[in-house]
Amino acid sequence: MNILKNTMLISLKIVTLLILAVPVLSTAAEEGDVARGSKAWANNCSRCHNMRDPKEFRDDGWRPIIAHMRLRAGLSGQQARDILTFLQSSNYTAPASSGSMTKVAESSGEDGETIYNNTCIACHGADGQGALPGVPKFSERLSKPDDVLLSNITNGFQSKGSPMAMPPKGGNPNLSDADIMNVLSYIRENLGK
Amino acid sequence: MDDTESLKARIETLEKQLSEVKELLKKQVETTATKEEVKAVKKEVEVAKKEVEVTKSQQDEWKFYDSTVHLGGYAQVGYASDDPANDRFNQVQYSPIFHYQYKDLILLESEFEVEIEGDGETHLALEYLTIDWFMNDYMALSAGKFLSPIGQFRQNLHPGWINKLPSAPSGFGHDQAAPVADVGVQLRGGAPFGNNMQANYAVFVSNGPILELNEDGDEIEAIETEGFTSDDDDNKLFGGRIGFLPIPNVEIGISGAFGELGLPGDTGDRDYDVLGFDLFARWRNLDLRGEYVKQEVDGFAGSVAEEGQEWEAWYIQPSYKLLPTKLEAVARYSDFDSTHADQDQQQWALGLNYLFSANAIAKFAYEFNDGLTGTDTDEDRLFLQFAYGF
Repeated sequence: MNILKNTMLISLKIVTLLILAVPVLSTAAEEGDVARGSKAWANNCSRCHNMRDPKEFRDDGWRPIIAHMRLRAGLSGQQARDILTFLQSSNYTAPASSGSMTKVAESSGEDGETIYNNTCIACHGADGQGALPGVPKFSERLSKPDDVLLSNITNGFQSKGSPMAMPPKGGNPNLSDADIMNVLSYIRENLGK
Repeated sequence: MDDTESLKARIETLEKQLSEVKELLKKQVETTATKEEVKAVKKEVEVAKKEVEVTKSQQDEWKFYDSTVHLGGYAQVGYASDDPANDRFNQVQYSPIFHYQYKDLILLESEFEVEIEGDGETHLALEYLTIDWFMNDYMALSAGKFLSPIGQFRQNLHPGWINKLPSAPSGFGHDQAAPVADVGVQLRGGAPFGNNMQANYAVFVSNGPILELNEDGDEIEAIETEGFTSDDDDNKLFGGRIGFLPIPNVEIGISGAFGELGLPGDTGDRDYDVLGFDLFARWRNLDLRGEYVKQEVDGFAGSVAEEGQEWEAWYIQPSYKLLPTKLEAVARYSDFDSTHADQDQQQWALGLNYLFSANAIAKFAYEFNDGLTGTDTDEDRLFLQFAYGF
């Protein structure tokens, strides 16, 4: 147990040094980011429990929950803000009457791969095989025509057997029709096999 | 004569037109607003505009606020059947969690445990209560009663809707090998770094556990780690946990604490140490979780209870989601060793869960227990449980 004691003492000293250093190293807090938030959400929340659907709570409800989870999961403040932003962007339901997006955003000008890596990769994985339990492989879904897939991406969609629905536009309200077309083309060409 | 008739017809026509003009004029007068009327209408529009602004502001008020209150928590109800037979609805537990947050600066979090006991009495306990100050992006200072950061089960996995089996692993229950809670101050935080790596930490100073003697008062029977506001031996416990995530969905944790504990009447104190390791990994639908913890108090010559004691436990738990169904299969092996043979237990637990949703789970499980013959630790058990996190 002496080894343990020494290890703990050294760890305490390291943490103390970190505590002293952090105020110096700290930078101004950034706003939350949807793309970073989706990744942090996918990588952290299911370490302990099943993924909760963003639609379970309103924007104001998620705020104290994420503060609580920041402590529980050992997240940084930035990760917590990113996850909160992602959840608050993902908890609305697109109106059923809307065949298109609820908010028409301008094209980001990004190519399909960039959009995929920023918005889709957290749940669908780099290889399109699904990074979370219940997220289907793209090869099982791309037989559907473009208009159906575009509608699913735009309005959100829950696959059979998936514990939760994909949020509208993957939780990124800034995606435009053109962005969604670009990312669908990228998925068809690169991840559909 | 013709001229007269023609003139008459024209007069009639003119009269008719005159009548129509009069009617038009009348209508125009009715529909034309005076300056005063226009002014009044403008005023009404202004009032209406202000009312709309106020209403919109009221509708949006929940989006812009400094303080917020939130009620969460979980509940679980269950049925157990022991071998030899003792069937009963054995579990009614409700654990409300209250959150009060001021900006992104302060969070108060508290959890109650309300449970019906075997004799019908209601057990009420404050599971934890901390006031947390988010000092910066990398650290938060918590003060109060907190769940022990030794390992993962007690601090993060014990709620019914998270624990994949209806019971705690052997040795991870109250007053066993894994510390439950403590009273003191704690610093917690974490940070991502490199390419997809992450680390988190918790360090604490607390009152520490209390040693419990047997009925004869000459041997340490158990160690109580529920978290106390007393510290009779006046020794503080120092400890913490460091978690490392080399890749997403893999976490390795090491935790420990050290200090000294005393017994009433002793002339000095004895060393106390606790050590823990925990592991989590996921591959597609398969989760693998494991944990080891050991608490140890040294002997102390001249004490009323001279011998030292050890409480050691570990478990490993794979679980697999049977997608696309809502079923999840889980198995767990756990082993608890104590200096007291009647506390030892080796356990296999097999379970099948039905997930109504991510936070509403029906569990069916069977435990094969192997302990000292004739004691509770040797009885096999069937469990049915419904757990709901909210």
